[in-house]
Amino acid sequence: MVMNEQKHDDIDVIVLSGRFVMADSPEVRERLKVLIEEGHGKMIIDMEKVSFIDSSACAVLISAFKSMQSKSGRLILVTSPIVQSLIELTRLHTIFEILPTLPDALGVFSLN
Amino acid sequence: MLVTDQSSTAMTLKISSNAKEISLACEALHALCVYVTGNEKCAFDVQYALVEALNNVVEHAYGYQSDHEIIISWLHQDNRLQIEIIDNGRSLTVLPKPVLPDFEAENGRGWWIISACVDEYYYKVVENIERECALRPGEKNDKFDTTLVKSHQNILTLIKQF
Repeated sequence: MVMNEQKHDDIDVIVLSGRFVMADSPEVRERLKVLIEEGHGKMIIDMEKVSFIDSSACAVLISAFKSMQSKSGRLILVTSPIVQSLIELTRLHTIFEILPTLPDALGVFSLN
Repeated sequence: MLVTDQSSTAMTLKISSNAKEISLACEALHALCVYVTGNEKCAFDVQYALVEALNNVVEHAYGYQSDHEIIISWLHQDNRLQIEIIDNGRSLTVLPKPVLPDFEAENGRGWWIISACVDEYYYKVVENIERECALRPGEKNDKFDTTLVKSHQNILTLIKQF
């Protein structure tokens, strides 16, 4: 898996690509934790190019969501069809804020 | 990763109990599943279930120790896939019910995913035991003095129709 970080004004954008599974989870979890702690409470995790995801990756997303909630921030996910499929299977789509593209997600933040 | 046995309908893979080998094996079996079934969705379902089952072995059976062996046995016949995941680690004493945990819980979704993605699954523990029965002249002893478990295998079987 490849993880890239971008900054759009005060929004942290994490772009993930490839497989996001147990082998990658500790690294992503730690990096997100630092970014959330140091950030401005606005984060987008772009998984449009993620080709596969498992429940350990879902655990990382839940952890990030809870950390962001605890500082009254906002986390938006951008998903590929295969990521969306597992998120829906585990009913996490009822909790996460999900948008289809990165520009859509950036647009939501610029409205506020 | 090692392919130890192969035929037109069956294959056995041996991998180490680490997350990177799981990922590699699952990608390979996904490709095989697409080839066999011609159905991408079926292949993703199988891969979802397989990854969760193998993650469970690494986490619970082997406690994240990476130098143990996991065997993946693949068999397809007619329109049925049967995959066995075999390990020698700590055995389950209860097969967890496939229920979703509260949203706040970070773990505990694996069996739900497995249950949703395959048609049937079951778990068994096979113990190879050694029994001792000492007999002295003239004695009749129909009881075994000791029973030792010499080794065991945990086998999770996943079945998917296509």
